[in-house]
Order: sequence, then structure tokens, then C-alpha cells
Amino acid sequence: MRLVSVSGLSGSGKTTLIKAMAERFAGRGQRVAVIVNEEGPEIYESRWCDARLVAIEYIRGG
Amino acid sequence: MDLIKRIKRAHHPDWLIIEPSEMVVTKELRDVAAMGLRDTRYAVGPLIALVDGPDFDFIWEERHHLVQGKIDDADIVAVSRSDLVDGNKLGAILGTLNHRDTSVFPFSIQSKRDAEMMFNRIKRFEEEIK
Repeated sequence: MRLVSVSGLSGSGKTTLIKAMAERFAGRGQRVAVIVNEEGPEIYESRWCDARLVAIEYIRGG
Repeated sequence: MDLIKRIKRAHHPDWLIIEPSEMVVTKELRDVAAMGLRDTRYAVGPLIALVDGPDFDFIWEERHHLVQGKIDDADIVAVSRSDLVDGNKLGAILGTLNHRDTSVFPFSIQSKRDAEMMFNRIKRFEEEIK
């Protein structure tokens, strides 16, 4: 397993890049998990995750 | 750390991507990732920092230490949403950031070329550090 991170201030495009990465890696047949440490609504739709077999864990206020 | 271990053992992912809170700086993240290595086997990196192009003037002035903390210790630094910044402004941002690090590059997810550059950098990192 390789641990990578995408950090930046709110609105900098983190989620967009992570989704692009997950699409790319899943397209290669690789498994992807994402840990999200952000307040607010869930930003990875379950349908999107299920379609790509992406596991999501949310941490609130961690 | 426990979460990393739990995810690895439950899902066996090839990639674990962390989207940290915006208040976390890269060194803190790297230290936590290193601590987890005591009990779980995985590779760390790249740790990517995105610096928002359109909001650069404000964040560089008002939230400088936080932005700098994200850039310091990052393996890849990109000026994000660069398609929303005009060329002169983008050049000035890169000039400011490259004063410390010459590998900062503009990145727009809308640009196929930029996306390939990002993935090539990730791939290079993956190949260098197995």
C-alpha cells in the first residue's frame, strides 16, 4: 500500500484531484481508499465510490 | 495511525489517499505517517500540496504560515485552478513560490496536459521510492 495525501486550503481542488487519482488508479485495476478529514457534508457520493470500489472513511474534527 | 492500519487490513488498498483538514501542515502529516510504520507496512508519498491560484493574493497575505506549512515538506507542489488565473498573474505566483522551490507547476484538472504532468510526477515518485 502506498499512502499519499492531497492537502490545500478549502476550495483549492483537493477533492477534484483525489477523484481524478481514484479514477486513474481504479482504471488500472488498483484498489483505492480515501481518508477525509474535513468538516461539512460528505463530498464523495456513495454511488461514485461504489462504482469504483473506493473505500471512504470520514474523520470529523480530527 | 489506527485508522491507517484498520483500512489497510480491512480493504487491502493499493493506494490510501488522505485528504487532511486544511489546518494540517505537511510535516505533521509526514510525522503521523511515519509513526504508523512502526506497526504497519506501507510506502509514504507523494505528499501533494495544492496552492489555490485564484485566491493566491489573499491566502499568501492572510494565511501565509499555513500555506507555507503545506508547501514545506511536500513532495509535489502545484498552483491549482490555474486555468482561472491570467498568464501574468500565474507567472508572478510561480515566481513567488519558486523562489524557494523550483519544481512548483501550474495545475488545472481541466487540462489534459496538466493532469498528465501531475500523474507523471506521482508515477516518478512511485518508481523512485518502492
